[in-house]
Amino acid sequence: MTMLDEGPLRASLVEAADGFPVSDDAIERIARAASEAGPRADVVRSMVPRSRWGRVALAAAAVAIVAGGVTVIGGAPGSSPAHRSAAGPSVAPGITGVAPSTTLPSGSPTSGGPVGSSSSSAGSGRGVGTSAPAQPSAGPGGSTPSPAPLPNGVVGQPAKVVTTGTIDLALGDSPLEPAVNRLTAIAVGSGGFVARSAVQVGPSNGTTPASGTLVLQVPQAAFSTVLTQVQSIAKVTSMTSTSTDVTGQYVDLQARIDALQASRQQYLTILAKATTIGDILAVQSQLDTIQSEIEQLQGQLDLLNGQTTYGSLTVSLSQSGHRAPPPPPPRSGIDRAWQQSVGGFTSGVEWLIRIAGRTVFVLLFLVGLAFAARWAWRAWRRTLL
Amino acid sequence: MGGDGRHEDIGAWLADGYVTSFRTACLILGNRADAEEAVQEAFLRAWRFRTSLAPGSDVRPWLYRVVVNTCNSKLRSEIPHRDRRTGDGDLDDLVAAGDGATQVEQSGDIVRALQSLPVHLRVVVVLRYYADLTEREIATAIGRRPGTVKSRLHEARRLLAMHPALRSTDDRSELDDSEVAE
Repeated sequence: MTMLDEGPLRASLVEAADGFPVSDDAIERIARAASEAGPRADVVRSMVPRSRWGRVALAAAAVAIVAGGVTVIGGAPGSSPAHRSAAGPSVAPGITGVAPSTTLPSGSPTSGGPVGSSSSSAGSGRGVGTSAPAQPSAGPGGSTPSPAPLPNGVVGQPAKVVTTGTIDLALGDSPLEPAVNRLTAIAVGSGGFVARSAVQVGPSNGTTPASGTLVLQVPQAAFSTVLTQVQSIAKVTSMTSTSTDVTGQYVDLQARIDALQASRQQYLTILAKATTIGDILAVQSQLDTIQSEIEQLQGQLDLLNGQTTYGSLTVSLSQSGHRAPPPPPPRSGIDRAWQQSVGGFTSGVEWLIRIAGRTVFVLLFLVGLAFAARWAWRAWRRTLL
Repeated sequence: MGGDGRHEDIGAWLADGYVTSFRTACLILGNRADAEEAVQEAFLRAWRFRTSLAPGSDVRPWLYRVVVNTCNSKLRSEIPHRDRRTGDGDLDDLVAAGDGATQVEQSGDIVRALQSLPVHLRVVVVLRYYADLTEREIATAIGRRPGTVKSRLHEARRLLAMHPALRSTDDRSELDDSEVAE
């Protein structure tokens, strides 16, 4: 590869550069301009340590702060599953929301919107326990307050609340039919009825588990009692309860109906005074329209009335379909030690994988941050100088 | 321009480094007027920000860095948008300053060859072979690693060797030598 020699290149450059004449007054001009402009007070720059180790320490501190922040931020979702897994079964029986059907005294109007909902899930076949759905949970560590009555509404109207709930019952090896009969009895006993039922019973040899779903319509006032009674039938695997306040909607419908009825009354007065056929037909047409609207709104009002009179509780029943496996025979000492060793190894690997994910994320984040900082630093220096 | 109390003396800065900085800028920019502007701007900027220089560190590479950055800024933002006849002014200057026809021609050739190089290669060549900075000082001046400087110098010399103006100069020199021999 041909390359220009350094000596001749240097000589040529010096020769060429010497060919550029220097202005006589250039130095004086710069000195004069410089004397007019003092050194810039560089506040930002002064915050950066001058020494190399100072900068390294500053960078390390920044990295530590960022890493700490990332860990804290990353810790929240990371801890959630652990929290859930540890506390899940213990808190599952409690109803975290409000079951307004039981807390709402009749005649306490509220503003529109959902009143509340509650749900619970009992994992691994654990029982729901004795928590009453009507009792709102005060959260971990808190005492259970008595349910506060809803505030009086602005419309002077009894609260209209639509309550629905679902509950899943695990019957285990118990037969389905007695549970269905008992649910029916509960519904009827509370003044309600079974709106729908669907039962699937497997063959007589019991290889297919039986299951069923019943939709109970129970009076709003008895909803919480029914819920409690249903829970006592079998183990509850999950439960939800939702209440929606439709008072506003109800009042709105009622007001529109009242207005339309007043309007109809006026048209009737006009109709009585009408003398020509044309006037009578025109007024009659308006009356028909108003009557149609009234009936439509009245239908909606009736539907709302029905929904707020009865709460709907959907109960799912299921058999386990198999008996619990017999307990394993007692292990020998070596066997047990081997199993524990395998378990420990697996746990270790799981831990490593779990930690690695977050660490890799943090490292990637820091690398990206370092690149961005380096680029910004260079850009800043370039701008500065 | 060492790391002493002369940091606070603009006169010392200028006395030590103005001429070399100006001619360095001339070689980089290929234009005397632009170089004068760039060096003035660079010196004023360096003077304003002289507090950012760590105590005890050498002013020279830092000052060259300011000069190079100012030149780069001009090449990037000002000169491309200007209707200028590249090289004419330089050659006029060189003709005015040169002693003989051959010298002027050779100076013009090297300036032309330099201008044909990419800016990043031109800068390292000028800093190394005209301003006489070490590779480490050039690395400081351009904010790159010494290895990068070395590879850029290598590439620049290779490209310069291939430039027609310098090749013809070599041929002409050889021809002159042969005529003298005869």
